[in-house]
Amino acid sequence: MNVPRRPIWTGILTIGLVNVPVKLYPMIYDRGISFRFLHKSDGQPLKYQKVCTKDQKIIPWPEVAKGYEILKNEYVIFDKEELEAIKPESDKRIRLDKFVDYFSVDPIHFNRSYVLMPDKITDAYSLLLTVFEKKGKAGVGRITLRTKEYPALVHAYKGAIILTTLRYSYDVIDPKGFEDLKKLKEPEKAELDLAFKIVTDLSGEFDITEYEDNYKQRVEELIKKKMKGETVTVEKPVEEEAKGLMAALRDTLKQLEKK
Amino acid sequence: MTTAIVYGDNAKMSKKLTKVEFTNLKKIIFPDLKTTKSQIIEFYITVAPKMLAFLSDRLAVLKRFPDGIDEEGFYEKDAPQGTPSWVKTKKIRSETAKRDVNYVLCNDLDTLIWLANLATIEIHIPFSKADSLEKPDMMLFDVDPEPPATYKDAATVALLLKRKLDEIGLECYVKTSGKKGLHVVIPIVQEHSFKETRKFVHKIGRQLAEEKELVVSELAEAKKPGKVFVDYLQNSHGRTMVSPYSLRAVPEATVSTPLEWAEVEKGIKPTDFNIFSVVKRDKDPWKKIFENKQRLMV
Repeated sequence: MNVPRRPIWTGILTIGLVNVPVKLYPMIYDRGISFRFLHKSDGQPLKYQKVCTKDQKIIPWPEVAKGYEILKNEYVIFDKEELEAIKPESDKRIRLDKFVDYFSVDPIHFNRSYVLMPDKITDAYSLLLTVFEKKGKAGVGRITLRTKEYPALVHAYKGAIILTTLRYSYDVIDPKGFEDLKKLKEPEKAELDLAFKIVTDLSGEFDITEYEDNYKQRVEELIKKKMKGETVTVEKPVEEEAKGLMAALRDTLKQLEKK
Repeated sequence: MTTAIVYGDNAKMSKKLTKVEFTNLKKIIFPDLKTTKSQIIEFYITVAPKMLAFLSDRLAVLKRFPDGIDEEGFYEKDAPQGTPSWVKTKKIRSETAKRDVNYVLCNDLDTLIWLANLATIEIHIPFSKADSLEKPDMMLFDVDPEPPATYKDAATVALLLKRKLDEIGLECYVKTSGKKGLHVVIPIVQEHSFKETRKFVHKIGRQLAEEKELVVSELAEAKKPGKVFVDYLQNSHGRTMVSPYSLRAVPEATVSTPLEWAEVEKGIKPTDFNIFSVVKRDKDPWKKIFENKQRLMV
């Protein structure tokens, strides 16, 4: 298994008076397929440019400022320096405020996870990890990554300490606001029994490796073929044309069932 | 209160009606009629309930035209490369080819659709089933007119043949070949050898030839202009006939169509039975053919 070679952040995990020096490694990757836009006729890569909405002129970076819309088409304008000055400094600390049951934090709030590794001194790290594992607890605190401060959860996962940044409460919608929920009726017992039975019948172990991105696999196959110089004939999605066939199929399946 | 619970395979079924992934549906297969592969597949889907009984457990011989019938097609006995694992096949040692041939058994709708998607136009079947290759369950009189004799002459001879078979107490069935001829078939119990069926069909053919100027019964005379040949030779191990409800690779996209004898008496035109008309046809005159297996007196 490949692990990232360089930490993206080093600092100190602080619990009251206890300090644990740690290194922070990225853990989550998006390994989906990504493409680059090219010019169809000559294959040259294309880039984005800022264009003035009034005269369509391309505006160079030094002339770009940030604006905050206070009314329709009315902005307060900021210089880069003004915003820089109030950005939080990363003080190289993860401050834990308290310990909670790990499972009491709903994953809805999870944002992005990082692996924490001991930085030179391993004893304190090992001690903390063991406590997390044995007690099923997690630490809640704050971390500033680059220039943004996040609430964070520090917990054990597969024999390592993980830091997961959390979403602020105002970034998550409370579903109670939906009217539809207020009209829900209690299910009847017979239905409930059937539903329970189905759930029992279909119960299994969670295994994320059972799921694959089929689109990604198909794109990768296409890429392989193209690299070998094979011409790839683009087949239009058959959906539309196959619709007539589906009607005939349904008829025939019905007839065959009768036999 | 009703609860809609989507459960198990039904959910998958409604989404996916067939295992076959359709390809090149817009390809023109019959250029004169501008008929596409999609229409070929639809045809076979529609006739499947009538047709599958004739294909089941028989070693299918396919005639495929991937580039349309105006380009050269090819006969295929071996299951092609990339045959999906759910397609049933059977390996048979071929003494002439000195190797095993892996035949397709078209036992279900999905296989038939898959064959159609491979631009299979004609499906030919042997007269015996895969599990008892030496014991035929059908006997064929191939009534084949040689120009200037026409399909009308073939009908005349087929009706004479039927009268003769009626006299000796054998019930026979008739279909168009899709070309000029007619196929007269007797379903038989699997007790006879090909040698016996061949001899029997030949004997009846000779009798007809003696009685009727128009009829010839020997291979040497088969190509005599204006005659109708009652061909017995197909009744052999490894020989085939075009399956009932198979399309033919002719410009008119005709279908080898089971007929009622009354239709033959009234007079039919083989080209009236084609990819467009046969799907609308309610009649299924061969429906009970395998419930009527007869014994030969030899």
